[in-house]
Amino acid sequence: MTRWSARQGDVDAAFAAAAHVVRGSYELPRLIAAPMETRGAIAAPAVAGEDGDVLTVWVSAQDLHRPRAQLAHILGRSESSLRLIIPDVGGAFGSKGVIAPEVAAVAAAALTLGVPVKWAEDRLENLVGTYQGRGIDGELELALDRDGRMLALRARLRADLGGYLLTTTPIPPHTAGTLIAGCYDISVADVEVLGVRTNKVPTGPYRGAGRPDAAYMIEALVDEAARMTAIDRVELRRRNLVHRFPHRTPTGLEYDSGDFERCLDLALELAQMPRDAGPDDSDWVRGTGIAVYVERAGGAFEGAEMTLEPGGRFTVDSSSSPHGQGHDITFAQIAAERLSVEPDAIELRFGDSANSPPGVGTFGSRSVSQAGSAVALAADDLVAAARTRAARVLEVDADEIAHGPGGFRAGGASVTWAELAAAASEPIRADARFQSANVFSSGAYVASVAIDRATGTLRVERLVAVDDAGILINPLLAHGQVIGGVVQGLGECLTEEAVYDDAAQLRTGTFLDYSLLTAAEIPPIVTGEVQTPSPLNPLGAKGAGEGGVVGTLPAIANAVADALGGRVISPPFTAEKLWRALQEQPATGERGEP
Amino acid sequence: VKPAPFRYAAPDSLAGALELLEDEDALPLAGGQSLVPLLNFRLARPSLLVDLGGVAELRGVDRVGDRLVIGAMTRQTELLRSGVAATGWPLIGEALAHVGHAAIRNRGTVGGSVAHADPAAELPVALSALDARMRVSSAAGERVVEVADFFRGPMMTALRPGELLVGIDVPLAPGAARMAFAEHARTHGDFAIAGVAIVQAPGQHAAIALLGGGLGPVRATAAERALLDGAAPAEVAALAATCAAGDHRRALIGALTTRALDRVTT
Repeated sequence: MTRWSARQGDVDAAFAAAAHVVRGSYELPRLIAAPMETRGAIAAPAVAGEDGDVLTVWVSAQDLHRPRAQLAHILGRSESSLRLIIPDVGGAFGSKGVIAPEVAAVAAAALTLGVPVKWAEDRLENLVGTYQGRGIDGELELALDRDGRMLALRARLRADLGGYLLTTTPIPPHTAGTLIAGCYDISVADVEVLGVRTNKVPTGPYRGAGRPDAAYMIEALVDEAARMTAIDRVELRRRNLVHRFPHRTPTGLEYDSGDFERCLDLALELAQMPRDAGPDDSDWVRGTGIAVYVERAGGAFEGAEMTLEPGGRFTVDSSSSPHGQGHDITFAQIAAERLSVEPDAIELRFGDSANSPPGVGTFGSRSVSQAGSAVALAADDLVAAARTRAARVLEVDADEIAHGPGGFRAGGASVTWAELAAAASEPIRADARFQSANVFSSGAYVASVAIDRATGTLRVERLVAVDDAGILINPLLAHGQVIGGVVQGLGECLTEEAVYDDAAQLRTGTFLDYSLLTAAEIPPIVTGEVQTPSPLNPLGAKGAGEGGVVGTLPAIANAVADALGGRVISPPFTAEKLWRALQEQPATGERGEP
Repeated sequence: VKPAPFRYAAPDSLAGALELLEDEDALPLAGGQSLVPLLNFRLARPSLLVDLGGVAELRGVDRVGDRLVIGAMTRQTELLRSGVAATGWPLIGEALAHVGHAAIRNRGTVGGSVAHADPAAELPVALSALDARMRVSSAAGERVVEVADFFRGPMMTALRPGELLVGIDVPLAPGAARMAFAEHARTHGDFAIAGVAIVQAPGQHAAIALLGGGLGPVRATAAERALLDGAAPAEVAALAATCAAGDHRRALIGALTTRALDRVTT
């Protein structure tokens, strides 16, 4: 259904001249997002005499603007005739960026019947009907010179897109294709991404949305190259990491900034390699895995409107609504710092198209860098506007006014925000729109695993997660994003897989069959952070929403392959798969020892 | 969604419940942890649901002589926390700790789990190893069914129309028997793929019941004889493994048996 390709340099010549050519085939199953709250909507037609003919629709969605545009398109109505309200949402993980057909159905039913109509799906419907993630395989070839310098990359990715294209269906495989060179300085590449139609539910973004796919494939291939060339896997990575920014990839991306090697160093330090790699024994086969990743975040635009309210309080309307990310806290911090007030003086509002500035949406690790930057710019504008008013109140020139905690002062005279609000004949307001190119978060992960010889059970003994999400506004929330992402990545590694039978019936339609991890399966997670500012926004921010899931998958996959003596099998790494792999492998006592 | 229409009754006595259950389209509702999902999927479509929650005489855990007497409506959590059960029958608590999660065990009942007869359920396997007896009642009277005769296949038991499992009697194992339960599941609290329950008193008694060895609890009789005769753990485990179908499941049963034996013999 879709085809995308990128080619740069003389790929054939590079392969012909290579001292080593390493190949790998990789496959990721489809996954189900499984948010705690399933999808649902209420559509209510205008009450006669009020609201014109505006249809109000409450949707459990990631954001406001995409559902409204989609609904307007489907219903053939103007966006202004639709009021969208996004209430508190119980999670999405990418699965609520495109409205379900049922949302349009309840809207149409409400318009036809003239009464409010509600739809809420149950868990079976959610598991069967929501678009799924991943479902991609790839064949990669890497050419290296004698010293392990990467010369050229070939990649053929094939994505199972399902029966039809949703608006976002082509995006994850495209993202995987564009990121396939990973953190490596490879200038010659030939990348093709093919999207194929199957008789399944469509695919679409699921946390990571192509990023883990790319990281999984390139990192597995680099480990394969290390085994083939007998160059240490850390050293091989060091020789090829991108060190200079901005960096243009052969697929057309521009990495804004980063310090990949520092991430790697920190991860290795936290993992205490190689001491962490215990030897195999009669019961357990052990392995360690290293992975570095880079991911596309941010991009496009968001807006913010800020108003000084009576009493020296502030209202911020943000175009980006949260569904569990904690925008209200982060954005209040950004505004408070710029306004030099306490965060609790700031009230965030979002999720209602009646008072939202224009924006794009909450996805792709973009809220802080885009919507947060819009809040920062609006705060700066508000301070500038207030300074002019303060100059009038204090009867001095604006440039004699100092802005500081609580308000403005000039010499011995001062005026507080509350006094400014009271003195103003019209509200003091500011609005801002922030737009930038993509920013690129990165990281390095190290996993230690042990496989029970008798049963094949995989035990993740330790996971080190080092993420560079740019300058962190709220470290606690960023840490939560990392842990959440890691846990979803672990689920992908250990149990999660959407399984269809030969008649295309979903066999994993309940949580008995689609197995999610519990707290009992979560290993000790050690986190570390590097903060490389992005030059593309006033906060220096990047994105933290997906790094955990992007780094975990390749680190654990590489650790499993290491334990299996270099044999690559596809996730999820179930006991049965690993047990079979061990049966086919001669027992050796030498692997894993220093 | 959700269930096909049904009538609902909540009797407060066993006699009242048994009378209602004479209706051949009636189903008893215990803790609802299996039946309610089945109703919601419409895989079960009773015309009458008889809620046993108000039948006080069906609850309780007591020791009567050398028997543990468990009321069918005893919540799994209650049995798991029972000091009486832990003293002579620690296997039961060990198996129950693997049943779902705390919230499920708080609602789920002992009799409900046993009568539902899910082949991946832990409790039937533990009761099998302990030679439990099922007390079964109907309006016509009470009878006792040995555990070996009770489980007839996946979701199938010896219960006849109109009959209700009212209680479970578990005899004290001979000698100073030691017991262990081990299982393999994808995640904690998930249904097990394989499991083993062992009760052993050296030279006197050996019982090995398997989960995943068949369509319900299976006693590994050859392995039991070998254990009684003092065979090496590896030999006992290998014999137990032969009861399972599929090479990985045999490997799981073998490994779990080895681990459980290690705990009862050291």
